Amino acid sequence: MTWTREALTDRVYEILRDDLLTVGEEFTPRSSLIDAGLDSLAVTQLLLAIEESTGVWVDESLLTEETLACAESLAACVHAQIAG
Amino acid sequence: MPRSPADRVPLTGADCFLRAFDAEVRRRSGASHSAQLVLRLGPGFDAVAFAKLVGEVAEAQPILRAPIRRPWGVLPPEFRLDLAVRAPLPVVEIHDAPESLAGGPPPPLFAERLNEKFDARRGRLLRCDVVRYAGGAAGTDVAFTWLHMLLDGSGSERFLRWLDEVSRGVRRASELPDEPPPSDSPKVGARALGQQAMKWRARTRSFAARAPRSLAGPLSAARQRLEVDVTTFGADETARIGERARKLAGFLTPMLFYLAASVRAHRAVFELRGIDPRSYVVPLPVNLRAKGAGGALFGTRVSLLWFQVMRESCGTLDSLLAELKAQRLATIKDGMVEAGTAAMDYARWLPRYAYARMARRAFGGELCSFFFGYTDEFLAGMTTFLGAPIENGFHAPSVPPSPGSAAIFSLRAGRLNFSHVRQSGVFSGFEQVRLQRSLRADLLGELE
Repeated sequence: MTWTREALTDRVYEILRDDLLTVGEEFTPRSSLIDAGLDSLAVTQLLLAIEESTGVWVDESLLTEETLACAESLAACVHAQIAG
Repeated sequence: MPRSPADRVPLTGADCFLRAFDAEVRRRSGASHSAQLVLRLGPGFDAVAFAKLVGEVAEAQPILRAPIRRPWGVLPPEFRLDLAVRAPLPVVEIHDAPESLAGGPPPPLFAERLNEKFDARRGRLLRCDVVRYAGGAAGTDVAFTWLHMLLDGSGSERFLRWLDEVSRGVRRASELPDEPPPSDSPKVGARALGQQAMKWRARTRSFAARAPRSLAGPLSAARQRLEVDVTTFGADETARIGERARKLAGFLTPMLFYLAASVRAHRAVFELRGIDPRSYVVPLPVNLRAKGAGGALFGTRVSLLWFQVMRESCGTLDSLLAELKAQRLATIKDGMVEAGTAAMDYARWLPRYAYARMARRAFGGELCSFFFGYTDEFLAGMTTFLGAPIENGFHAPSVPPSPGSAAIFSLRAGRLNFSHVRQSGVFSGFEQVRLQRSLRADLLGELE
């Protein structure tokens, strides 16, 4: 499957909202992940879920304050890696 | 509260794991497995109002003095809220100290509290000690000391926030923050649960091939005499350390940086003694509280990620960090967080002594190389407590006589705190200096 950036954003957002975080309806793809309680364990579980969906293991060294700012920025980082 | 019709709250698996440590410490060394949180406050703290507040919340929240009992002697233990009314309120002692001691090392009295025994069966679970300098005009230190199974590190900080909110009238004493159900019973079937627990057991047993040693040596029945040193790094140094942690260990996993530096600091002391421990085994507590959820306080929610690093990996900080990163990822991928939770859930049914006995048998009398904790920012965003400015704060959990050493890190307002809790006599003065020098060199990237 070819992943577009938009599709990846939706997938990352779904995983965070439904499986990893306890968040309300105000949580959007642009909400701060750190404020929403994302921690190192949740990030690793997120990477595992992304790998399951896309077959790509995201290089952890790419995870920075900027790339982990929100679901959208994280998806952009993943997409860049998939696109090579 | 109450959370169950019968006013009984089951202990979580992690609670029972800590209860196993408590049984071990009670039986062997005459104390309890407790935890402590210290607040260093500026002027303006009303100690008498604080004591009244603690009494009020303990009246409204019976879990703070609920006897812990195991029904019929065999069923999983419970906090007996219905019996709390007969238990005494938590003790709040107020002490006075001269102004000259303000801002110095924490009062020795606080370490003494870690050597005392709580009585879970009678609901004596928490106590507070207040030390006022110049009557409070030069500041106040407050130590909360509790039986560890009552609150984990994250819950204890939330407890302080909640106390502050009650004092400001934001919440009523009877009103706990929203929290998930207290029992963390897994949602998997018994068979799957058993398989997970066995996986965890197999992993920890695999450590025995190169069994760890602690600096305290194998099982000791010495009376617990814990000492606590707290090193606070300056703002510039902390900024440098934080930058190194992010660069070397990753933005979200700075704890691995501090863990690596701690392993190497203990290794430096082993080398000084001419001992080759062959491997270092250290558990890393993992916070399992719902991410982004409200403010659960009670019912500890942790699992443990176990690391075993061979001496060959410890030569440089970089090589050790690479090994720790790889092990962390592999163990999470392998489901060891869930397996650890399952094993702890089994601890609810086991006799209190079972875990420690099994671990010591597997490791030749040791539990691990040392205890480790990294709790990130202490009371993040909170600047005052009951109206007094928070100048510093840190955790100081107790450690059993063997391994006899715990390295705990936290940050407060841009300054790194390193709490070294150790059994008296485990480190000579020279060894203590060696440990500190090695740690500092790795944290700051300097030559010793």
